[in-house]
Amino acid sequence: MNQSILDQFRVHKWRVIVFFIVMTAVLSFYVYRLFSLQVIEGAAFLDQANENRIREISESTQRGIIYDRNGFVLARNIASYNVVITPAFLPDVDTYNPNGDMQRIYRELSALIDIPVTTGNIDDEEAIKNFTPCYNDFGLKEIVYIGDTNAPFSPVQVKCDIDPETAMVIREKKSDWPGVDIEIVAVRDYPTGELTSEVIGFLGPIPASQVDYYEDLGFVANRDKVGYAGVEQYLDENLLGTNGKRVVEVDGAGQLIRDLEVPITAVPGNNIKLTIDTRLQAAAKTALLANMQRYNLLKGVEKYNVGAVIAMNPKTGEILALVSYPTFENNRLARIIPAYYYNQLQLDPRKPLFNHAISAEHPPGSVFKLAPAVGILNENVVRPETTVFDPGKITILEQFSPNDPGRQRDYVCYTYKDTGAGHGTVDFIRGVALSCDVYFYKVGGGYGDEVPVGLNIWRIGEYSKALGYGEITGIELPGEMKGLIPDPTWKRINVGENWSTGDTYIATMGQGYVLSTPIQVLVSFATIANDGIMMKPTLVKEILDAEGNVIQPFTPIQIRDITKDPVIQVYDENFRTTGELKTVEPWVIEKTQEALREVVVDGTSTLIFEGETVPSAGKTGTAEYCDNIAQEKNICFPGSWPAHAWYVGYAPYDDPEIAVVVFVYDGDEGAVLSGPVVRDILETYFALKAVDQGLGINQ
Amino acid sequence: MLKREFWQQFDYLLFGGVLILCIFGIAMIQSAIAGNEEIAISVSRQVIFVVGGFVVLFLTSLIDYRYLSSLTRIMYIFSVVILMGIYVIGTAVYGSARWFDTGVILIQPSELVKTIMIVILADYFYKTQDQDKNLNWIFKSFLITAFVVLWIFIQPNLSMSIVIFVIWFALLWYAGLPFKYLLIFAAVGIVLGLIGFNILEDYQQNRILNFLFPDPNARYGETFNVDQAKISIGSGGLLGMGYGQGSQVQLRFLKVRHTDFIFSAMAHEFGFIGTIFIMSILVFVIYRCFRVGQKASDMFGQLIAYGVGTLLFFQMAVNIGVNLNVIPVTGLTLPFISYGGSSLASLLLGIGFVESVSAHRHRE
Repeated sequence: MNQSILDQFRVHKWRVIVFFIVMTAVLSFYVYRLFSLQVIEGAAFLDQANENRIREISESTQRGIIYDRNGFVLARNIASYNVVITPAFLPDVDTYNPNGDMQRIYRELSALIDIPVTTGNIDDEEAIKNFTPCYNDFGLKEIVYIGDTNAPFSPVQVKCDIDPETAMVIREKKSDWPGVDIEIVAVRDYPTGELTSEVIGFLGPIPASQVDYYEDLGFVANRDKVGYAGVEQYLDENLLGTNGKRVVEVDGAGQLIRDLEVPITAVPGNNIKLTIDTRLQAAAKTALLANMQRYNLLKGVEKYNVGAVIAMNPKTGEILALVSYPTFENNRLARIIPAYYYNQLQLDPRKPLFNHAISAEHPPGSVFKLAPAVGILNENVVRPETTVFDPGKITILEQFSPNDPGRQRDYVCYTYKDTGAGHGTVDFIRGVALSCDVYFYKVGGGYGDEVPVGLNIWRIGEYSKALGYGEITGIELPGEMKGLIPDPTWKRINVGENWSTGDTYIATMGQGYVLSTPIQVLVSFATIANDGIMMKPTLVKEILDAEGNVIQPFTPIQIRDITKDPVIQVYDENFRTTGELKTVEPWVIEKTQEALREVVVDGTSTLIFEGETVPSAGKTGTAEYCDNIAQEKNICFPGSWPAHAWYVGYAPYDDPEIAVVVFVYDGDEGAVLSGPVVRDILETYFALKAVDQGLGINQ
Repeated sequence: MLKREFWQQFDYLLFGGVLILCIFGIAMIQSAIAGNEEIAISVSRQVIFVVGGFVVLFLTSLIDYRYLSSLTRIMYIFSVVILMGIYVIGTAVYGSARWFDTGVILIQPSELVKTIMIVILADYFYKTQDQDKNLNWIFKSFLITAFVVLWIFIQPNLSMSIVIFVIWFALLWYAGLPFKYLLIFAAVGIVLGLIGFNILEDYQQNRILNFLFPDPNARYGETFNVDQAKISIGSGGLLGMGYGQGSQVQLRFLKVRHTDFIFSAMAHEFGFIGTIFIMSILVFVIYRCFRVGQKASDMFGQLIAYGVGTLLFFQMAVNIGVNLNVIPVTGLTLPFISYGGSSLASLLLGIGFVESVSAHRHRE
């Protein structure tokens, strides 16, 4: 082979040209691709690049603290420590050394916080979809896997609410355990728990339906919480505060580089001082439970287990105690709302989530007689000294219209069942003191020559509404109900039947269609006790900012003075409104106060209040009912219906400082189940007052 | 000492193009470090590699390439020995034994072998030009290549194995591969490709599958790098974010930005226009290599120059293709610009061979 022969060979030119064609084709495609990425889609990618680096951080604010009237903390925020792992910061998985750093971290952490390294159930798609941080059965490996899938640079909670000592240990190991950290979050804590939960309520996640509303306000769904019940819900806007906001630049590791906008710092929510006196609240709840328990033991069955108590200053409207029993343990709902506990509360027939003091509408029974009592004197149906005879049983013609031939029907006084006799001759004071049913039948509906024209249902309505029935009182709690003051128009529309004469008799004593809430009953008595001035019941003593400055001092709100504000319609003889309005004359209120005092001195509650230290006035109530629960239990026998127990009292009777209502569901006898509780609370109130004065506390 | 012809025939434009690319590469690596301490040393190292590489380039160009023809046997033995050597004293990085750890730098022998194989194969095809272009001729060249690639393939290093086979095929093509065999090769290639896929390592299979059929529910980590590369390129726009100003690079969203994804970093900071400009210089360098080949005195020189030009194009095409997300992720560098001493040095050695071909050609 000759070198010179070889030198004659050359590469064919066309083969090089083929290469250049290939190269041109490839490069043209690349240039096209580059052009489409950079020029055509450039703006979209620029957005993505900005999305990468710009992050909006919402900094949690502090929810306001709730105190009682003496500064005792009822709701606060405590630090809770969570173990979090940022998947992206964990050491890399080393294929050739699978037992490397990551496994070591898992093992050591697992031993410390009692969560298995792996549970091996990572293939369970359903379980992964339902993954809830803090509340799951996954192992560390699975939690990190899920976190890594969703957002590798966001910390995922591994274990929540660990004790502070363990949190410190983990914090110290931070440098050895890249990716592991301790997150400190504020958790709502209720030092008084179940004692005040019906007033305070609880928090929960922002409901799905309101996410947009709260997000507009700068709150973060699934992180920030809002009030779900009690003042936590009603005063949410005051307590919430405003989240801080930062727009920052982060690097690829999620590390914060700088602020892009001036940071907006979080504004803590306002602190609220309630009018509740926790000591009285405790006394009220204890007294109610103890009395119910006492009679449960006597009966040998758990019969009395639903009740409500409200204590209020009639002059200012300050609610000193508000008990709804049974209630819930709000500390169990502080972190999340556990489904099993919530279901348990919802399925409980005693309705623990329901505020019996303001939301339960029940027939008020004899405590309602206050309204017609004021009415008959003010309308001059009878004079106070006019006597009416109570034979124990009267028979009246029940008519549905003036031309209705009607049929005779018996109406009995409560004494008739036991003694077969009535109260005999009674005047206004005795009628109220003895809660004489026949007296109120006659003056309410009229009775022959004895009471030619009764008060009538229209005017009963006027006086009861003037005393606060049929309307919400406006107390700062969600779910307050209006109750019901019926009239003929209402009956025609809702029952489809004419108003009968008997309906008026029944309504006079707070039975039949009449429904009211315990707070309405209390307000009606407080108005009379306060000489006709109705104060709005309120739970809010003061609103303070985070530094403790009072931004809204206590201001009692007068709803009306029935002796001065004309709110009562004047009716003509055919019971049509004349368009005129009138007031209640002060002597009528005085007389009523006298009658209420007589209840205690020589009336239905005399035995219970025997030997009381501070003279009180009050009224018993035993309200027959037949609601769906009673029907289910099949205890509605005609003539012997089950009854709720009511008692309202205030003291001192001549210059009242406190008015208390006690309601026991299915409590049979107002004087027995509710009266003693009121006495206990009144006495505790004055004992506490003495203590406070001894300590120099003036409020 | 040197003849006047050397200075007259040395390709200054080729040299200049390569020099510009290397300097630009250093600048780009400087920007790509973006405060990462671990790779901060890359700039000074790259400077050393460039300086060293240019010394090698110049010294190589001084040697008449015709002498290389007689050294190919020694080169071949040397190649196989160093490739086998890494199994004895090599260092595993990222799970594959590819490196000699000299204590100061890691040397990747396969990069060097890649360039040497151009000379070895060019010599084989040059010396067999008068033979029949039959299957025997093809198969012999294949065996020469395969025996070297074997050691690279089992490291495992798939991309480098492919590069060397591409060099073999390119030189086979320039040397006169008959068209009928090309068709047969294509058919065999497809079949072998399918079989080959099954014997790949899991991570290699995954890369290819992941590329061909992106999983819509893919976990963040699996597509993170290519997604960020796409965002980086796209957000560069027409004019780019400016040198040292790109958020994707400076805030380290773009990973492996000083090596495999330096093209994305460049596209991000210099935009469409800047990128086209740099790509044009690369194409110009490739063109100069082919021009040298065209003017070479003999086929040996021609094949060396064409081989180096094809190598440069292939690396460039693969690297940019990865960055543009049109081919699966491989570890090939962007010639002269990516950080990496072994790759740079071996490419500059290749340019040295081409300069030698240019400088030592006979005058027409």
